[in-house]
Amino acid sequence: MSSGWKNSGLMKSSKSKLWFLLAPALVFLILPLYGMFAAVRSSINGNQGLTFTYYVQLFQSERFLSSIAFSVRTSLVATVIAIIIGLIITRLFHTYLDKTTPRLSVWLPMLFPHFVWGYLVILLLAETGLIAQIFLVVGWIDGTGQFPVLTRDPYGLGIIITYVWKEIPFVILMLLPIYSSIPTSYYDLVKTLGGRSWEQFRTVEWPHIQPVLIETFLILFSFTLTAYEVPALLGTTFPEMISVLSYQWFYGGILEERPLAFASMVFVSIVILTLTLAGYFYMNRRRMRAMRGRL
Amino acid sequence: MRSMKFKFYLLLFFLFIGPVLFLILQSFSEVWRYQSGEGLTFNLQSYQVLFSDPNIAEATLWSLVIGVCVLLFNLLIGLLSGKGLALYSFTGRSFLEALFLAPILVPVLAVAMGLHLFMIRIGLADTWMGVVLIHLVPTVPYSIKIFHNTYNQLGHGMLEQASILGATSFKQLLTIELPLLKPAIRSVTFLTIVISLSQYASTAIIGGGRILTLPMIFFPFLNTADASLMAAFSIWFALLPFFMYIVVELLLFLLPYTRKPWRNG
Repeated sequence: MSSGWKNSGLMKSSKSKLWFLLAPALVFLILPLYGMFAAVRSSINGNQGLTFTYYVQLFQSERFLSSIAFSVRTSLVATVIAIIIGLIITRLFHTYLDKTTPRLSVWLPMLFPHFVWGYLVILLLAETGLIAQIFLVVGWIDGTGQFPVLTRDPYGLGIIITYVWKEIPFVILMLLPIYSSIPTSYYDLVKTLGGRSWEQFRTVEWPHIQPVLIETFLILFSFTLTAYEVPALLGTTFPEMISVLSYQWFYGGILEERPLAFASMVFVSIVILTLTLAGYFYMNRRRMRAMRGRL
Repeated sequence: MRSMKFKFYLLLFFLFIGPVLFLILQSFSEVWRYQSGEGLTFNLQSYQVLFSDPNIAEATLWSLVIGVCVLLFNLLIGLLSGKGLALYSFTGRSFLEALFLAPILVPVLAVAMGLHLFMIRIGLADTWMGVVLIHLVPTVPYSIKIFHNTYNQLGHGMLEQASILGATSFKQLLTIELPLLKPAIRSVTFLTIVISLSQYASTAIIGGGRILTLPMIFFPFLNTADASLMAAFSIWFALLPFFMYIVVELLLFLLPYTRKPWRNG
């Protein structure tokens, strides 16, 4: 697409223009890069130079270990469910979603910050919430005490429900352009060859959506794993999400705990980075294979 | 086919429209208890209580000021780098693309903790400018991506033509790029302000509790306030992006080649 442009004289004269265009973004990158660098440095900076004691301390801490297990499980479940539901909705209804009003209604939850949606989940699903009251009116339960504990529960159900609900629109947002751009003739081909819904999904849709699904998964998973606001609102004190624990270590006022906050956040970043690299290499390998197949 | 449509609207209602309607209803009424045997009583009390809180005006103002600054930075950085990435091919482009997207994968909490000491040193801790900077971290990657995609769709033919005809870069931006980038500008406005409003922990760390934004008072409010008041507060949260969106929409009318509704044709 850009080959003609690349070789034209215009292009050569504007190599410096390219750097002018990219400079602000490169300056911006200093913020996250320096932030991460400083966090890593704080996590290995002992009284006598380089030390890994904080990491050792971290992995001996029962609180940290249960927190990280809880966080990974909760975010994984929330992300996977959100992606599956979002995918099903997009798949079944993308022709309706192309129209403006339905599309804007789907984006409605995006108007609210995550913790506001979390509060809505409390309003709806708490033991005295709207759903429990309705169940009481209908007579499915005798008292609000019989309603299951869905918010501020030890299993992270409230956190999961909030994230699933809030992220479905995001999943649809990522998938909709792709579904709208798949040529209908592909489906016709599969149908002509006798393929049913599942074959259509596997042969037509899957190759198109897979890279976006991986990207969506990485964005959502890393966000859910490290966000503070929703778990602070809907979680319990034990087990707690890793961000809540780190925030407490950082802000709790005990100076010895601060390096632990850095160490735990750096550890989580390493987990995310590893996952991202794995996803990236997986996609690249597939792309290479696809190209070889074409040649 | 008809039943599919019905199912779709049912889903739309229960998943997305219903909850927001409930929130609005709750904000205008007292908390409903089935046991009390009473129906819903409507009043504006919760909004009165909300607006009589001395902190709400200050917090709203700061949220807006910070949101607008974050948006301006996002538009500038996103537009320029999106253009650079889409219209030029150079070695290391895909690496740069990945690098620009990376900040949304690292925990903003880690970045805020890491930058905290640095911000103290250069005097940006506990200031609104420091908060603007930390809010850039989770927003700018999205903006770059949105502008990159839009410039990709635009292609370079249109811009090449303008420069062949002798348009200056500024003229080109004003008459060709900005009008065609309208959808991207809308998305960036919307995303940026919502993400900026969603930041509690990073605002608390960099702002040191001294920069009062809406989330900073929402969280302490939770323990004391009643459901109706919190619902009113929640609606207030959604009105801010809405307001910004309208302002941006009005500004977009100023662009050349924009169809004005008050003009026919």
